[in-house]
Amino acid sequence: MSIELPFSHPRESVLKFILSLADDELMLGHRDAEWTGHSPILEEDIAFSNIAQDELGHSLVWYTLYEQLTGKPPDAMAFERKWNDFVCSRFVTYPNGDFAYSVVRQYLFDEAEQVKLSSFRESSLQQLSEIAGKLLREEAYHLLHSKGLVERLGDATEESHRRMQAALDEAFPQALGMFERVDDEEGLVKAAVFPGNNVLKTEWLKRVVPVLTNSALRIPVSSKNGSFTYTVQPDEGGRKRNHTQHLRRLVDDLQQVYRLVPGAKW
Amino acid sequence: MTDTQWETYEVFHQTKKGDPHMYVGSVHAPDPEMALQMARDQFARRLKCVSIWVVNSKDITATDYQNEDFFAQVTDKSYRDPKAFGAPDKDLSDEH
Repeated sequence: MSIELPFSHPRESVLKFILSLADDELMLGHRDAEWTGHSPILEEDIAFSNIAQDELGHSLVWYTLYEQLTGKPPDAMAFERKWNDFVCSRFVTYPNGDFAYSVVRQYLFDEAEQVKLSSFRESSLQQLSEIAGKLLREEAYHLLHSKGLVERLGDATEESHRRMQAALDEAFPQALGMFERVDDEEGLVKAAVFPGNNVLKTEWLKRVVPVLTNSALRIPVSSKNGSFTYTVQPDEGGRKRNHTQHLRRLVDDLQQVYRLVPGAKW
Repeated sequence: MTDTQWETYEVFHQTKKGDPHMYVGSVHAPDPEMALQMARDQFARRLKCVSIWVVNSKDITATDYQNEDFFAQVTDKSYRDPKAFGAPDKDLSDEH
């Protein structure tokens, strides 16, 4: 099935925007999948593997929409692109380290998903709104899980607090990078495709700041009259395909099997 | 030093509303809410499921395998077995 965009929509910008959504899900799904067999506890091993499969499934949903608009199949987008052609945020590309880092990253990402997908419900692009409605049902459970872990580990023991705080110190500036402006953001906002990254970032901060603070975790953010200021530099570049070597290694791994026999049917 | 090991919770799931909850296994979790989530990931992703119960393992009172007398049948009680008439699985209450 192929679909056409309304003429009021800036086609190239919309396509790249959809790719950024798909690429984020693909890379985080891959990182989460790396915990399979390595998590500190069996139940979390299974939970992270489930979440990884969900995120990969969500990337397929976005790549399929891209295919309907361009004719380019999902496998080509995931497995045939060069590492520096992806437009994911840098945040989702960084290697796993301490399990606390993955917990914090998943939580910050899940809250961003809630904000993003909820805003898509109001999108002038019908497909965006329909897909968002579907994905939100699953995302709610990702959030319940990651938020549950953050709330419990934030101030459970001296060790859990120390490790969660270290993870958050590392992840917070990276997470801000999820809201890096995309190409032709003004065009997308004007066409009411989405409300723009600054609006999303504020909504995201409204959600994460109280949860992190109530979990006894410190964040470099101060708020006044509903607006937020932070003292760290957001780790941006991903949307402009300016990535680190971590993504090169991730994509090598991700595409390794596919490249053995390009175009093989499963 | 405080014990930071998670407790175990026994998991019961129900495949259809009205059916009995069946025992399916156990999970480790820090509290009942997280146990429900762990149980969902463990037991409800592939099997059809409409409800889950979790019970902290320490809240279960159980018999001891050593105490065989608890279940002993010392006299012939075969007359109690309903083996002379087959009981259908079907619910007959709404027939006639």
